[in-house]
Amino acid sequence: MKVTYNWLREFVDVNASPEDIASRLTSAGMEVEEIIYQNAHLHDVVVGRILKIEKHPQADKLVVCQVDIGKEITQIITAATNVFEGALVPVSLPGADLANGIKIQKAKMRGVESCGMFCSGEELGIDENYFEGAGVNGILILPSDMVPGTPIDKALKLDDVIFDVNITPNRADCMSVIGLAREVCALYGVPMRKVNLSYDIDVYAKDTVRDYVNVNVTTPNCQRYMASAITNVKIERSPLWMRARLNAVGIKPINTMVDITNYVLIEMGQPLHAFDQELIAGSQINVRQAKLDESITALNHNTYNLDDSIMVIADSEKPMVIAGVIGGTNSCINDNTKKCVLESAVFDLKSIRLTSRKIGVRTDSSARYSKGVNVANAELGMARALHLVSKIGCGKVVRGSIDIASVKNEARKITVSVNLINQILGLQIPSNDMLRILNNLGIESTIAGDRITCIIPPYREDLENDYDIAEEVIRLYGYAAYDNVNYELFQNSAVTEGHHHPRLLMERKFRNALVEHGFFENVSYTLVPSDMADRLLIEDGDIRNNLIRIANPISEDISCMRTSLAQSLFTNIAYNLSVGNKNLRMFECGRIYLTDKLPLDKLPTEKNMIALATCEEGFDFFNMKGILEGLLEKTSLSYQLERSKEPYLHPGISADIIADNKKIGSFGQIHPSVAKNYGLPNNVIYAEIDDDYLASLPTKKIVAKAISKYPIVERDLAVVVDESVTAQEMLDAIKSACGNLYYSSEIFDIYRSDAIGENKKSMAFNVKLSDMNKTLTDEEVNKIMQKILKAFTYKFGAVLR
Amino acid sequence: MIEELLKIKEELLGDIKKLTNLKELNEVRIKAFGKAGAISNLSKGMRDVAPEDRPKFGALINIARSEIERELELKNKEFEEAELNKRLQEEKVDITEPSKACEIGALHPISDVIDRLTDICVDMGFSVVEGPEIESDYYNFEAMNIPKNHPSRDMQDTFFITDEILLRSQTSAVQAREMEKRKPPFKIVCPGKTYRNDSDATHSPIFNQLEGLVVDENISMADLKSMLTILMKRLYGEDTKIRFRPSFFPFTEPSIEVDVSCPNCHGKGCNICKGSGMLELLGAGVVNPKVLEMSGIDSKKYRGFAFGFGLDRTAMILNSIGNIRSLYRNDKRFLEQMR
Repeated sequence: MKVTYNWLREFVDVNASPEDIASRLTSAGMEVEEIIYQNAHLHDVVVGRILKIEKHPQADKLVVCQVDIGKEITQIITAATNVFEGALVPVSLPGADLANGIKIQKAKMRGVESCGMFCSGEELGIDENYFEGAGVNGILILPSDMVPGTPIDKALKLDDVIFDVNITPNRADCMSVIGLAREVCALYGVPMRKVNLSYDIDVYAKDTVRDYVNVNVTTPNCQRYMASAITNVKIERSPLWMRARLNAVGIKPINTMVDITNYVLIEMGQPLHAFDQELIAGSQINVRQAKLDESITALNHNTYNLDDSIMVIADSEKPMVIAGVIGGTNSCINDNTKKCVLESAVFDLKSIRLTSRKIGVRTDSSARYSKGVNVANAELGMARALHLVSKIGCGKVVRGSIDIASVKNEARKITVSVNLINQILGLQIPSNDMLRILNNLGIESTIAGDRITCIIPPYREDLENDYDIAEEVIRLYGYAAYDNVNYELFQNSAVTEGHHHPRLLMERKFRNALVEHGFFENVSYTLVPSDMADRLLIEDGDIRNNLIRIANPISEDISCMRTSLAQSLFTNIAYNLSVGNKNLRMFECGRIYLTDKLPLDKLPTEKNMIALATCEEGFDFFNMKGILEGLLEKTSLSYQLERSKEPYLHPGISADIIADNKKIGSFGQIHPSVAKNYGLPNNVIYAEIDDDYLASLPTKKIVAKAISKYPIVERDLAVVVDESVTAQEMLDAIKSACGNLYYSSEIFDIYRSDAIGENKKSMAFNVKLSDMNKTLTDEEVNKIMQKILKAFTYKFGAVLR
Repeated sequence: MIEELLKIKEELLGDIKKLTNLKELNEVRIKAFGKAGAISNLSKGMRDVAPEDRPKFGALINIARSEIERELELKNKEFEEAELNKRLQEEKVDITEPSKACEIGALHPISDVIDRLTDICVDMGFSVVEGPEIESDYYNFEAMNIPKNHPSRDMQDTFFITDEILLRSQTSAVQAREMEKRKPPFKIVCPGKTYRNDSDATHSPIFNQLEGLVVDENISMADLKSMLTILMKRLYGEDTKIRFRPSFFPFTEPSIEVDVSCPNCHGKGCNICKGSGMLELLGAGVVNPKVLEMSGIDSKKYRGFAFGFGLDRTAMILNSIGNIRSLYRNDKRFLEQMR
């Protein structure tokens, strides 16, 4: 919120610079985000009186003016037409640097010297609401009682310094000048100046507030409702000092009564509402929940349909105000208002928050109510408003006031321990310092041994226990106390053993291995577009079709939780191709979010997956298979491959990884239709593995087998078989033919040609044999090879090449 | 015969001295020891020597043979060395030609930061945990002392799925889950994704945080200071300093913001820290006793501290990344720089 230096100093008796106040507020948790000097662009601008106006000898549209600027008379040329001899005007002199970027220098205009420029209201940053004449198209003509030479920031009261303070939600009491003034007083250790709450009442008058209004509260959401009446109301421009302060904190001055309500809102943090008394039907105010068929046209000119969740201030016929949020046009202060009823109320913060959100209106008033206004504050706000009415003389305060309160809020007493506060803080702050700080904060405190008894003022609803008081103490004592603390870590607490997360640790192994294989790790948005499942050809009945949708998404592109990493990696590959990147090897370790029921009635399953995708010349299904084999080698997983039915993979060039009769992963070439959906070429190879399943496996246990001290013997063998015979079947046959002489076998060539024949392939095997006890003889080896060939012929109809 | 033997020997030794290459050396070797070589011929001439002189003559031949062989061997070694040197001089590559190494990939800067931070925390006795990203209102807010319709809800723009289910807006959501599961003393850290309905030049709607929580007897704000000092020093360097400032979080009391001396300028002031020399990097505080109680921990007996910070920002600072968007675009040109 915005407050000004001068406004604060009305309540704080210190001679400190704005910078010093700002820095102390920040150090105490009231972060001053910006210090704005109102007059930053008003230097070298003064009040001037135009003494004489003559025609410019060289230019028809210009005039040459002699201007009294206090200490001298200077010559200024202007094209403005609303100036006249004797007029007082703002004069920017050489050196001036106006907010709109204009820098003033002495200059010759058509051969005649001009030593400055007359200013419009706009050039000074003010409008008609702020100062009469500031809105005209031309030069601002100042009131005739101003004195030439007066700096313009003084003359127009634009010499204040504005603090933009970030108030944390626990300190609603500081959303006001008075609240921040209390903090400043505590920071400087000075008492607060008394707030003037006095006002004149005509003691001989017979009328009382009851002659103007009656109040009936029927909703528990209104905690306190005060009403006063004012007669002989004068609706006019409020005095400059009041306009200046409202203007400084960004509130548009309107008229006396409206300005007073806004002034008290900022100053005391108390929202007020002023009604035209003659527009209150039946002189009756009913504070109640709205009825379903009611509506109201608000001051923002929108009409709102109401319901019983919304509290209204109504008269005997109609709602006049959406309570705490916005007033209606039917009863507001207007130019003809003669009698006024002033409301100072406190509403339940939840009710105001809900209403404000429901109708989408946020006002200075709702902002304060929804952070919580203290019940005691209504009185302060009302008295201050009546004081201002008296002071400005814009009305006569009627005797008496209505005050209906359902909640009492009085000072509370709590007791805290000096020792515990120091234990919480890990410091040794003397109890005297604690006492001083608390008393400066307006928390009357006394000490007896280790116990401090605190009387908590009503506006500090946030203070309840030792921890809260510890914070008050340290924030005023200064966190700099920790700058030089040398405290051995956990010196008074237990030693605990730290453990890595098992899955993250396993994943780290995979990630590092993939990096060695040339893969780049991706981190993608887990929020995806709602057509994700369609693009991947995922069908109804597949759990991945149940996308969990955000109720309030930022955009359609990020509106649903992903159910497959394929969406992320396909999108990333497509993006990379679009910017000219080639040879792409990407992977991501991330979650997918699965539910079998929508809308959600419980938390969904979050499954951790590892996914790989490549788009690289020469990188095919089998390259991916090799990489996966390498990764899975690091685990204790035993698995088989089966043809995959993943909808987004090519049905002929894809496989599922099966373990425990469950699919725990799949890989293969992208389905041509999916490639089209993502704008990808057909050679994208994708793989994914269930990370949670892998993490659930026991750690791989290595059992080293004895190796023979005799050399390995190897033989090659090439046969032609039908396409239908799989590599695995043949390798298995070799293994069983070799018996215990088997060491290893692999396929080193697979060849197809017309010469070999249709639906035939040539497979070349390398077989390694080893015996634990002797060097194998040719004869023994040949016998084994014959056995293999026999098995091949018998089982697969293989023909030796 | 003896004179002839000596003459031949001298002649051969003379030839050897004049040798200039291996080819000539082989010619001399043949001239001496070939089938028709001089030394071989002398041996054959043995039968012409008087029987009583034969032993002496034989010994002389042997001496001449080994002397010549030795000289030849020396020369041979000399030539081989010269040859090798010549080869080594000739075989020279342009070391600036492109490499043939296989291209390696890189970790994402965020997961790299998670690895580094969790390693440090595990060293300090913290265990790494995870929690759900799709979370109940209870764990994300209510158990963190943020009741429904409370002003402190305004601090975050939350993505909702239903009235009761949302995308966690802070990793603090794991605090209550872990407190319910564990018995003090314990120390945990939780890295993970968090979500806020906020997207502009410096905010990503999805971002990563690391949450830390310690619950034990006698935990104080000074422990927090020591712990974070160690963490930040190990992350940003030994000369790193940290500073506390008051703040507000509903789940800690007192609450602080932690400023860390700018790792770029070491506190002198630069464009990264906007001249202040310090970066606002963490939120932290002593666990609010109400939060302990809500999760069934006796706040009379136990205290705790908690901290949380943005991993995106940390990754950006550590790698001088200018734009938060580049973290999630997965552009190879960006990722290649993270090797």
